[in-house]
Amino acid sequence: MSGKSEKVELEKKEEASAKADISGKESSEKGEILIKVEDLCKSFGDNVVLDGINIEIRKGEVISVIGPSGCGKSTFIRSLNLLEEPTGGRIFFEGQDITERGTDRRLVREKIGMVFQQFNLFDNMTVKKNIMLAPVKLKLMTKEEAEEKAMELLTRVGLAEHADKYPSQLSGGQKQRVAIARSLAMNPDVMLFDEPTSALDPEMVNEVLTIMNQLAQAGMTMVVVTHEMGFARGVSSRVIFIDGGNIREDSTPEEIFTNPKNERLRDFLGKIL
Amino acid sequence: MKLIKKWAAFLLISAVLMSIFTICVYASENEDVSSDKEASSAQVDSVSGIKTVNDLTGKRIGVQLGTTGAVYARDVENAAIQEFNKGADAVMALTQDKVDCVIIDEQTAKAFVASNKKGLAIIDDRFTDEEYAAVISKSNKELLASVNTAISELKKDGTLDQIIKSYIPEKESDRGNFHYKQVVTHGKVLRMATNAQFPPYEYYESNKIVGIDAEIGKAIADKLGMVLKIEDMEFDSIIAAVKSGKSDIGLAGFTVTEDRKKEIDFSDSYARSSQVIIVHVKSSAESAAASSSVSDSGDDEGEPTFIDRLYTNFIKDDRWRYLVSGLENTLIITVFAMLIGLVLGFILAVIRVAHDKNGSLPVMNVIAKLYVTVIRGTPVMVQLLIIYYVIFASVDINKILVAIIAFGFNSAAYVSEVVRSGIMSIDNGQFEAGKSLGLRFSTTMIHVILPQAFKNILPALGNELISLLKETSISGYIGLIDLTRGGDIIRSLTYEAFIPLIAVALIYLIIVVALSAGVSRLERRLKKNER
Repeated sequence: MSGKSEKVELEKKEEASAKADISGKESSEKGEILIKVEDLCKSFGDNVVLDGINIEIRKGEVISVIGPSGCGKSTFIRSLNLLEEPTGGRIFFEGQDITERGTDRRLVREKIGMVFQQFNLFDNMTVKKNIMLAPVKLKLMTKEEAEEKAMELLTRVGLAEHADKYPSQLSGGQKQRVAIARSLAMNPDVMLFDEPTSALDPEMVNEVLTIMNQLAQAGMTMVVVTHEMGFARGVSSRVIFIDGGNIREDSTPEEIFTNPKNERLRDFLGKIL
Repeated sequence: MKLIKKWAAFLLISAVLMSIFTICVYASENEDVSSDKEASSAQVDSVSGIKTVNDLTGKRIGVQLGTTGAVYARDVENAAIQEFNKGADAVMALTQDKVDCVIIDEQTAKAFVASNKKGLAIIDDRFTDEEYAAVISKSNKELLASVNTAISELKKDGTLDQIIKSYIPEKESDRGNFHYKQVVTHGKVLRMATNAQFPPYEYYESNKIVGIDAEIGKAIADKLGMVLKIEDMEFDSIIAAVKSGKSDIGLAGFTVTEDRKKEIDFSDSYARSSQVIIVHVKSSAESAAASSSVSDSGDDEGEPTFIDRLYTNFIKDDRWRYLVSGLENTLIITVFAMLIGLVLGFILAVIRVAHDKNGSLPVMNVIAKLYVTVIRGTPVMVQLLIIYYVIFASVDINKILVAIIAFGFNSAAYVSEVVRSGIMSIDNGQFEAGKSLGLRFSTTMIHVILPQAFKNILPALGNELISLLKETSISGYIGLIDLTRGGDIIRSLTYEAFIPLIAVALIYLIIVVALSAGVSRLERRLKKNER
């Protein structure tokens, strides 16, 4: 654990400087609002998981969501593309209330990419087919276009030579990179990452973080639930701390990590850093 | 190469097993014969000690289901009645002393005794005479009237007498000297239901149903200007078939009884008979049999060898054809029922999963659930009979089609549960990944979930296919000649249980082994796909 965090720490320093101007640029530009969450609530029976979350996510922002386990951060991110049905509140995506009855969730999800902790690659398809399936089936691309796109994305994540392998033949890190490529194939407006490195062996964490870093550099709007504080601090433009079903602190990485105001955040950071 | 070796080994083992069986059976039979040679007497000396009708009290009586013999047996005090589907089965049980006697129609009894070499005899005491008549639906008075006219005409012109005398001759030389040929070859069809296991009234000979009733049927059809079509079914199904309109007329040695009259109309009688009692004779097997019946020319040649028995069961009169055409039907039914089962089963499973995962299709889900509950909760045989006699009661529908529908719909319920469990075994992440990409539920299902589920459930599906194949063996209940029924027909012709039954079992076994081999090959191929 310590070895890994050291490595990330080191990388973080390099990236932090590169990141500084990007985030600076973005915060000054103040991109348009992509996602607006109003009073989002979610409970499973009597168990209240999200208790009135409000947040605005702007174009180009890279938001890290941190918090103790069971705080509701996964439920929060899964609510953003309605994998979890909110029990209260509203979510606007590109100005449209997607929680409203009659919204075509499918169309919304086409625009919101998601990367899972457990990769969730389609085990019965080759890497390339995994990436091609959605664009082809949704008639966004022809087979040839999708194949070209898949190869381009695989090259981008450094897995072009694995295009015809099955997921079971890949390492965890490779699977997650394919999963990212699969999401990107849909040209999403925002990418959600639900603990993308938590299921990985330590030596594979960086290969995935590097890809995510590249994405962030390219200006992709990202919401990342993570335990990688190096990433949160070094790559993201904004960090939110969730605890007890609500956002307790929402600030820049510098503020969060050097000057935490919330008691529980301090407690949390004290435990993991 | 490996496969061929496996097969060779399997065949060898089955051949060895079969010969061991045969030798054992054969040896024990030979013992009987050697001790049976001496005494012969005209007086029937039965194993059970039954000499008159009064001796039946407290005995085990074998009868054929639905016959008047069964009705008489019920009147006997303290008797343990065993009802068999076929007269031949009852007689078989008698030769094995599983019952003490069999009550059955006289002419049929004579045919059994004549062709059975195991020492059977008919006791002199008999039940009262009864009359045979055709059965016709109560709602078809018109047909009843014209059949009655036909019968009286046939009686008058002597045709009826000629037919009966040809099958029940006074002198052996007169046997088979008259055969009625149907004149009418085109036109409306007269569907005659019978149970062709009842010589000399109706039985199979060279893959055709022949006998007194068959020929009378033709003669009546001619008088009506119709073409006769004979349908073979269980004896106790005939009245139902005629009542429901599946058949127009039932000719199967029906005795006129008051109970039956409540259900159905009888024509004027065309023959007389009586119920007699067959017993197993203690000793002097052949002579006793000979004394009470018309004997076959080959009677005193002694016990036939195994080769002889194979010959009589399969080669003689091309009897193997019953097995081949039966096998053909069995395979047709199995293959198409499997297709229906798979398609419908997958649909049902997907409906239920769609509801469980998304809450969609609530009504369809209830229907699917109900369907599975009802089908799994009732025996497939009852379903088969319901589909044939109730649902398609008034429709003239191909029996093979009925069987395919019945078994296919039955299989679907089981397949759907197998598929559902397969789908449930797939990680929810696969569904979520599909969802998050904006894929439709159906697209995710077809391209992601089902291919993976299919691989997981292949062994269970193979199992279902094997069950299905074997379940089709009840097709005989709607008068379809499947493999099992084919063997039954041979059994009823040769009065031998061992060879036809073992042959049928062996054929099923070989198909099942081949199916299992096919399924495991498919499994291996799908596995390769993954790595």
